[in-house]
Amino acid sequence: MDGLVNVSRRRFLKASGVAGGGLVVGFTLTGCSSSAPPVVRLEGDFVPNAFLQITPENHFRFYCPRDEMGQGVNTGLTTLVAEELDVAPWEIEVLWAGVHSDYANPEFGVQGTGGSTSIKAHYRQLRQVGANVRAVLLEAAAGQLGRPVAALSTEDGHVLVDGERHPYGHFVAAAAAFAMPAEAPLKPASEFKYIGKEFARIDALEKSTGTAEFGIDIDVPGLHHGVVRRCPVAGGALKSFRDDKARSVPGITDVVEIGSGVAVVADRYWAAKKGAQALEVEWSLPPLASLDTERLQADYRVGLDRDGDVTGERGDLDAGFRQASQVVDNEYWAPYLAHAPMEPMNAVVRIEGGEADVWTGSQGIVAAQGLVARYSGLEKSKVRAHNTYLGGGFGRRATLTHVIEATQLAVATGKPIKVLWSREDDIQSGIYRPASLMRIKAGVDDAGRLTAWQAKRVGGNITPDTLGNMMPALLPGAVGDGVIDWMVGLADGAFDGWVVDHSSIEGLYEDYDTPNREVRHVTVNHGLPLTFWRSVGHSYTAFAKETMMDELAAKAGLDAVEFRLRNTQDKPRLHNVIRVAGERLRQWPRRPGRHLGFAAHSSFSTDVAEVAEVSVDNGAIKVHRVLCVVDCGVAVNPDIVRAQMEGSVMYGLTAALHGELDLENGAIKQSNFHDYPILRMNEAPAVDVVIIDSTEEPTGVGEPGLPPIAPAVANAVFAATGQRLRSLPLKLA
Amino acid sequence: MIEFTLYGIRVQTDESPDTPLLWAVRDTFKLKGSKFGCGAGFCGSCTMHVDGEAVRTCVLPIAAVAGKAVTTIEGLAEPDQLHPLQEAWVSHSVPQCGYCQPGQIMSAAALLARNPNANEAEVESAMAGNICRCGCYPRIKQAILSVAGQASGPSLDDLATEVS
Ligand code: FES
Ligand code: FES
Repeated sequence: MDGLVNVSRRRFLKASGVAGGGLVVGFTLTGCSSSAPPVVRLEGDFVPNAFLQITPENHFRFYCPRDEMGQGVNTGLTTLVAEELDVAPWEIEVLWAGVHSDYANPEFGVQGTGGSTSIKAHYRQLRQVGANVRAVLLEAAAGQLGRPVAALSTEDGHVLVDGERHPYGHFVAAAAAFAMPAEAPLKPASEFKYIGKEFARIDALEKSTGTAEFGIDIDVPGLHHGVVRRCPVAGGALKSFRDDKARSVPGITDVVEIGSGVAVVADRYWAAKKGAQALEVEWSLPPLASLDTERLQADYRVGLDRDGDVTGERGDLDAGFRQASQVVDNEYWAPYLAHAPMEPMNAVVRIEGGEADVWTGSQGIVAAQGLVARYSGLEKSKVRAHNTYLGGGFGRRATLTHVIEATQLAVATGKPIKVLWSREDDIQSGIYRPASLMRIKAGVDDAGRLTAWQAKRVGGNITPDTLGNMMPALLPGAVGDGVIDWMVGLADGAFDGWVVDHSSIEGLYEDYDTPNREVRHVTVNHGLPLTFWRSVGHSYTAFAKETMMDELAAKAGLDAVEFRLRNTQDKPRLHNVIRVAGERLRQWPRRPGRHLGFAAHSSFSTDVAEVAEVSVDNGAIKVHRVLCVVDCGVAVNPDIVRAQMEGSVMYGLTAALHGELDLENGAIKQSNFHDYPILRMNEAPAVDVVIIDSTEEPTGVGEPGLPPIAPAVANAVFAATGQRLRSLPLKLA
Repeated sequence: MIEFTLYGIRVQTDESPDTPLLWAVRDTFKLKGSKFGCGAGFCGSCTMHVDGEAVRTCVLPIAAVAGKAVTTIEGLAEPDQLHPLQEAWVSHSVPQCGYCQPGQIMSAAALLARNPNANEAEVESAMAGNICRCGCYPRIKQAILSVAGQASGPSLDDLATEVS
């Protein structure tokens, strides 16, 4: 990939000439219509749609509609449009799209990035965008060159005719006059130049030189910094505070009471931080303040005996258990987790002359705009929302409390404000992957086939909390705050006893052919705010399901792979990744003291099987090597697919080996990386990724590598020690 | 008034002496490449070189760098040049979100400056102070080993052939 370093370097030099690129203010195409996409116009440019911009100098810009948080979506989506436009992806300048309905995630209907949807959702749309624009350029070229379209071809941003190369840019003026075809034909896969090919991700250079701009890097003239003290228990309220010591810190300009607590504002971050520490604050504590992990688990245990709400019913469960020759019945525990993205939450808000700007790396820029409008009283059309690179997302950056805080401070002080959370804020005042108590009772017959599967999960619901947090951003401005509070409260309880929140139980029952099954959910929610965490429900259900499968296999006298193969007759893709990983497992170069564990799981329409090679030394679990076999349809960028599998394995291993938040008097006990440890290089296994060749449309990649890793390791630990571990994180007795 | 050099340029600041170097560099000198990850010395996002040593600057007061030479990711290579590690980072497509990478590269550069042929164990121990939440560890390790002239660990296929 040497040539690519040079290409990237050119891009870097180009980019470095544009200082403060994040401060460019977008304006609409027509200057007046609120429906035109926010595109920064260039002299003589051709802007055929919300996504592409081509200049007479043959400069290409792509407005990337999804948020780049490490998953490589800027490379991937640029590749889609580039393939059909016939321009090398690394020759295209990628800008973050502003707020506009054209940038909606086709799968969600609004602008939002998550659920491993981006490539899958935009696969046809963005190729079509590229193909249509190429078709129009060809028509313009044909007219200008006096040749039929059939005599023209394209290569690398040029029209080729009679041995001559004409840059697309020569035809942009003429192209603007042509009507866009509805559906220019797409390339057959056999002609792909970039999709499915190996090349370095387009942002590698920026991200290796410190020039990639994250939200935390945004600076505007007169910027002030806000540091917020929040109640250590979620849902608590401010009772009183004394700020004389805080105000004596040099540089402090304001101390402001805001919705989430008290904020100290200063002309630099360190002063604000010291000021906030010097505040003396008293809180009115909510009922949650009496909760600790032990009582939470006791409450969940009581919940396990409740009937709860039924979903996923099929066949006749009693009959299924009667047919079984073996029945296994186990409970599984998974704790609360924080996402802990490397970049703590932050946002910059500037309100000036009846207009506002917000800069933040978010998984939904439209929510940032909505929140600023809501909390400043401005119309949404007066709020420009600017995206940046995200220093990790994992679901955390869909909830934007920090944008509310920055807005409230900007309103109160009249200054442009950056709010930055500390790591302690991130871990203790965040929004969490819920704790779960699960029970699975399953039966298997003499032929090694599952006859019955009864599963129950106890815990808080994931989706309503997240929606509740988004609602103020998404509702129209005319709805009053009181009404919103009421609706948010409604959402909290909306799923209880009405319908089961699928996110909370996904993955607990779907993968295997089970003629008789029943899934129940018992909502026990103590009020710690919950949200999507990389792979969501699958992050704990796969652990329960796949360690259960290992026990059932043993009961049935079958090996782990054979047992899973017998029970995936109706799931050809899952069956196949199990088969391929199983073959590799059989040929695995065995070493003394090393033990293997197997697990497979489908999530986000992608199928993954993993093998973990583990040793156990003095009770310490070490994972040496992981094999990951993935079928995600067409791998638009195979190297990024590999990177996502590697990263998901590491993220999942942190949860499997270390991840645990405890409650003490309603507050999270852990605070930073010393007591909420993240996997480090010396603990990181080698990861071998096998991508199944496929011509099917792409499916999710950012999350599906995660769910199988904890059970694969737990199953290897059983092989090593004979101990069945049914709680996360994995700890040997 | 505290004075030090920032990749060769003499700079001074009148900020309070307990201000961590990270915040002086980011807020006063407006160099944003060095990142804040934990503020407590646990993650390495804020790593710079002080007199050639990799240091966690979120817990290093500027008083401690008076008269010293500070280098950040912006000054690691000559202008418009890449450090060999940065070349390796790009050719291995190391970064995911990229947030930890300036710190990773500064730690790796300090290691290779004192031990140009560091082996796998030495790389692991020198890099254990840098967290990557995206889990780029296998690629970070390979990129460093490639610059150190060391072979990376075998793949599963390599191992399988060795055994058979
Ligand atoms: S920010 Fe300095 S070590 Fe984490
Ligand atoms: S690349 Fe995201 S934290 Fe390392």
